[in-house]
Amino acid sequence: MARSTSPTCARVFEAEAARDGRLTGAARAHFEAHAAGCASCAQEARGLEELARALRKSGTAGETDELHVRRERTRLLAAFDASLIPRPREGHAKRWLAFGLAAAMLSGLLWLRARAEVPAPSKGGPADVIVPAASLAKVEAEAGARWTRRIDDGFERIVLESGTLAVRVTHASPSRRLLVVLPDGELEDIGTVFTVTADAGHTTAVRVQEGRVVLRLRDQPPRQLVAGENWTPAPAPEKSAAPPLVPRAAPVAPRRADAAADFRVALSALNAAESARAAALFTAFLSEHPGDSRTEDAAYLRVIALQRAGKLAEMRSAAGAYLSRYPRGFRRAEVEPLAGAAQ
Amino acid sequence: MTQRSRRALERGAAWTSDPELMQQLAKGQLGALGELYDRYQAPLRSFIGRATRDAHDVDDLLHATFLAAAKSAPRYDGRSCCRPWLIGVAAQLLRQRRRAFGRFGELLAVLKGAALPLADPGSQLQARGDVERALATLSDAKRITLLMAEVEGLSCEEIAEALSIPIGTVWTRLHAARRELRQVLGTGKDVP
Repeated sequence: MARSTSPTCARVFEAEAARDGRLTGAARAHFEAHAAGCASCAQEARGLEELARALRKSGTAGETDELHVRRERTRLLAAFDASLIPRPREGHAKRWLAFGLAAAMLSGLLWLRARAEVPAPSKGGPADVIVPAASLAKVEAEAGARWTRRIDDGFERIVLESGTLAVRVTHASPSRRLLVVLPDGELEDIGTVFTVTADAGHTTAVRVQEGRVVLRLRDQPPRQLVAGENWTPAPAPEKSAAPPLVPRAAPVAPRRADAAADFRVALSALNAAESARAAALFTAFLSEHPGDSRTEDAAYLRVIALQRAGKLAEMRSAAGAYLSRYPRGFRRAEVEPLAGAAQ
Repeated sequence: MTQRSRRALERGAAWTSDPELMQQLAKGQLGALGELYDRYQAPLRSFIGRATRDAHDVDDLLHATFLAAAKSAPRYDGRSCCRPWLIGVAAQLLRQRRRAFGRFGELLAVLKGAALPLADPGSQLQARGDVERALATLSDAKRITLLMAEVEGLSCEEIAEALSIPIGTVWTRLHAARRELRQVLGTGKDVP
């Protein structure tokens, strides 16, 4: 590591320049040819390499306590989970209530103003095309459609009460997802063009022109619809639980198992504080995608969803199943207390 | 290869490449962060520890690095090994930390250094060897730059981008760091 002890060559500084990439191409080749015959420059180059080697070697001394690493790993993943799944804040109810009231008053004033400017939906009028500046999608509403739009917390929600909307996603956003809230469920868009119709509190038709959507109706498993698929509900029996709805339009493409979409749908439900539904969706995910790389995450999140839904007996059972299946799982430290949680 | 990765292979699990792992992380797949942590927590911890002279918040900085990496995963450049990229993320956080500490932090460091007798730089450093002791005498900026270049193998262009400094500044810091290290290691005397 000592500097060159040979009579110093005037070009010795080029050794460092070559090492740092300041010397390139023909100049570098010229210096390397020179250094092959110059003891001073060659020694300088060796000295720089020895210094680097010593730095690399000295940094490998000592190992971190394995237990400490595992604790820190659990802490990191918990922090990451928290960043993905924001929990309801507590202790700010009054402040948010006041803020909400003020926002509601302001929204009401703006709505009244907007009504004064935009004609109310009429039976025979032209379709409304609205693209707010920050929106992900262009919405064409057929005459008579009743709907609203809002953007909050990572979601753009188009709320359809009745009528028909044609939606075209104009640009994707990694930080925001598009949901169409229906009278009896919701439709999550995954970058697509589609039309949805609702009437008398029920979704009556979904037609996908491009891309795909996930249709989630209450008390029914989620359904993915791809380009070219048209969905309409089968007639529902009175009072008893509705039979599984079958897309009526032909041809009906066989439902592709899309683990990524199913996982995202379940996570979305958990994110939206629909804990019981999220638990059911994660259960379905585990059943339908047993070999997927996200099964451990799904098994863990099912436990969390059951905990949040207050279903403690099922939570303990799910926690036990997780520990049994993943004895060395990522979430073992978090799940163990839940498996043994007292009633 | 980490112990966990070896166990995964033994179980027959498929080995996920770094670019694939980053893609999974960009999609929000929770397990991908755990795998990334298993692969690179050790070298990152070593880098951060040496860069900060074992500051009390090395674990917090390590966490912040992985969380920042998860957030930036969609912008990962696809190189086959993401260790240099992670080092760059850590270096950016260290730079922000240094700026946040500002003069107050420098004063604390000076006071802390003044409290230690010159004849005994500290048992922790003593135990580590001459190179680590010499490294600790460098300024933060020179030390981080030197570690990124000579230990982590980042190019000067990559270092300049990660630290948001001109490449000429990188060259200057490297030259000064090497000169100071050689003086300390060669003569055994501290550099003022």
